[in-house]
Amino acid sequence: MVEFYQSKKNLITYILTLFIVTLFALWLRNLDMESSWQRAGMINFSLGFVMLAAYMSAQILKIARLPLISGYIIVGIVAGPYVSGFLTDDMIARFGFINDIALSFIALTAGGALHLQFLKKRRKIIVLNILLLTLVVFGFVFMFFVFMGSHFSLTRNLSSIQIIAFAVLVGVVAVARSPSSAIAIISESRASGPFTETVLGVTVAMDVLIIILFTVALTVARIILGGSGMVNAQIFMAVSMEMAGSFFLGALLGKGISFYIDRIRHDLPLFLLFLAFGVSKISMWASSSMENYFDIHLHLEPLLICMSAGFTVQNFSKTGSYFMDSLDGISLPVYVLFFSLAGASLNFGALKLCWLLTLCLAVVRVAGIFCATWLAGTIAKDPPLYNRTAWMAYITQAGVAIGLAQMAEREFPGIGVYLTTVILALIFVNQVVGPVTFKAVLNLVGEAKIR
Amino acid sequence: MKIIFALLIIVFLAFSGYHLTFRTFKLPLFAREFYLTGTEFLFLGFLLGPQFLNLLDMETLKGLEPVGALLLGWIGLLFGFQFEIARIRRFPLDFFKAAILESFLTFVLVFFGVYFALPLFFEIPEVKHIVLSLTLSAAAACTAQTGLALLAPDFTAQHQKTLGLLRYISSIDGLSALLIFGMVFFFRRPLFAGFSLIGDLALGTVFSLIISMGLVFLYIVFIASHRDESELALVVIAMAVLTSGVASILHFSPLVANFFVGFCLVNLCRRKERLFKILVGIEKPVYLLLLVFLGAYWKLDSLWLFALAALYCLYRFSGKLFGGFMVTRLNLELSSYPPHLGFGLLDQGGLPLAILFDFQQGISCDITASVISLVLLAVIYNEFLGPYLLVRLLKEGK
Repeated sequence: MVEFYQSKKNLITYILTLFIVTLFALWLRNLDMESSWQRAGMINFSLGFVMLAAYMSAQILKIARLPLISGYIIVGIVAGPYVSGFLTDDMIARFGFINDIALSFIALTAGGALHLQFLKKRRKIIVLNILLLTLVVFGFVFMFFVFMGSHFSLTRNLSSIQIIAFAVLVGVVAVARSPSSAIAIISESRASGPFTETVLGVTVAMDVLIIILFTVALTVARIILGGSGMVNAQIFMAVSMEMAGSFFLGALLGKGISFYIDRIRHDLPLFLLFLAFGVSKISMWASSSMENYFDIHLHLEPLLICMSAGFTVQNFSKTGSYFMDSLDGISLPVYVLFFSLAGASLNFGALKLCWLLTLCLAVVRVAGIFCATWLAGTIAKDPPLYNRTAWMAYITQAGVAIGLAQMAEREFPGIGVYLTTVILALIFVNQVVGPVTFKAVLNLVGEAKIR
Repeated sequence: MKIIFALLIIVFLAFSGYHLTFRTFKLPLFAREFYLTGTEFLFLGFLLGPQFLNLLDMETLKGLEPVGALLLGWIGLLFGFQFEIARIRRFPLDFFKAAILESFLTFVLVFFGVYFALPLFFEIPEVKHIVLSLTLSAAAACTAQTGLALLAPDFTAQHQKTLGLLRYISSIDGLSALLIFGMVFFFRRPLFAGFSLIGDLALGTVFSLIISMGLVFLYIVFIASHRDESELALVVIAMAVLTSGVASILHFSPLVANFFVGFCLVNLCRRKERLFKILVGIEKPVYLLLLVFLGAYWKLDSLWLFALAALYCLYRFSGKLFGGFMVTRLNLELSSYPPHLGFGLLDQGGLPLAILFDFQQGISCDITASVISLVLLAVIYNEFLGPYLLVRLLKEGK
């Protein structure tokens, strides 16, 4: 009873405060911004406002037992350029760098959350999940689009060849997941156990695998659309080198972090901030070099480097728990910032354009995920509860998929615009629904510590 | 030349890293204060900035503006938290008057010195001239406690009385400097222009107080319920950035606005200890980041700056010496303290750097980079000079 009244009081406080802060924000927004300093002030104010609003909304949702990150994302969507326009495209672009640093932090956490011992124990189910999720989800989405693609208004004008190429690319992007969302929800729920470790292992591994798969898909699409019929070995070589290099660099960094914790220890968050900054910057440099020398644009290395670094600290040093505690201490501001901005970047306009196609694709993708996870669990003799519910953990999708869509748009201008629109809309749905189902499944299998 | 300089900085930073990593490594005496104050981070910023590696290029620095707003907000809040009236009352009122008088006299002396010297070196319009003089003299009026913290324990025990006063003055004298610096922002176009000058100022002041009180109320609402540490950290981060943003939009100083909020919170809020714990928890990283940012804006394009910084130091030195002397002579209660009290007030510390950063963010002009370089050099000079003069003061006092 006391808890109920406390919740009610909190709810009223949050709603009232949110209302007052929003009114204040609206008033400030209507002031004339003459100088660049005022405009910079508006950007800072917007960031502070979105963080507070996201936090309050998440607390309101928490009372309704919904995940906190859904609150952050929803505030981002509402504040973003497609709804209220409080956060403009320009602002989001300016926050991009902070966003990159936040993503590097999350990737460090993702790597650190993987325990080699657990992964070895769950090797079979992880490999099966990766294999089946890739094949079945790709197969379902590909087949759906090949047979139904011409019936939707957005893609009606595409030729049958273009539809096949389109289906290949959408199919591969549908395989992509969102490790950042997974990490945030696991961290929020303080979840641990075989189910959680499996989901995390699969999600992180697929984030790596998707780069290779997408490179293959690009080549296949190029062949289908009548471009170069040759498989460009140089590109594969470059991608493999980049990934191997990223892992190696990450392992070295991981060793560096554990050395720092061993020898110095203090101000670890600041050290990690510098590290995240350095990784982002060096990766951008590497990215532009890749584009100049190999004519491919990939911006996925910081994630791999940081994941590998986190994994090394956790599994090849004695400082893993201290490292994770340090990351956990600063995780909340990072998550709020990252997911609010992610929400603001979600393309509501794209969803309005092709909502029916998006809904169908989302349903087909979920069906594919269900079949794949059920089959993998049954073969590996996992508990039936896991097999029935595992699909709920794999719905979230975010940044990587957007990056892949943009790459495809640059590569195939003819179908690229449609592809980006569909993928952005699909991500919108998955990122709103995914966290809710993920939190629910962690509760269902009994691995969430906070209910 | 640039490459040689960059190599020297890298060697210096490697040395710093070695010192941090292997604690048994004894530092030379002259370098101890240098490392205690984290000055190596200034050089790190310099190395990373546009002058050398360009990793912190102008575009990145622009993208990191919210981090800058956070740093200013954090330092402002922390400084505001030092002014808990109940705690200040534990010390004699004469101490408080001494701190304010010493800092005000330093300010006046440096202001006139800088005001007349600046046009000899730079071409600047009149309004900017006053603004620059106010900023430089406000930065000069502050004192840090780093030198005092470095003293050997047996030495500290022998001079407890003098050191007590020095500690008190150095923790309080930033107040007048900060409030004077707040005046600099009145030279920006006020939000409610159209009345008389005094009318505009009065309306602007009342308005800024109302807004700040609103922000204080918001803080109190957030802190009223029990929150864990990471939630409180989020609230403080978001509020600091938000307050800095509001201040910029409404033409106040983000540093002063956050100081005011911090001052109100420490005197009005019941859960202030938890908030203070959060603020102090990352005080050092915040300060080090500020050094990195300022280092990135550092531009040593003329050897004249070294001489100009020495002149600025001389003005400050005279101001502190005069201020310290007057404090011990005008107040009979303090006449037992050594007349060269100013020798112990030379360390500049973090607040002047925050003032400088606030100035850099809010009031840019053609010579901003030179002003930053000048103050940074002066801070380094003072860090070398401060400990020796402090020891001399204490030996004389004995």
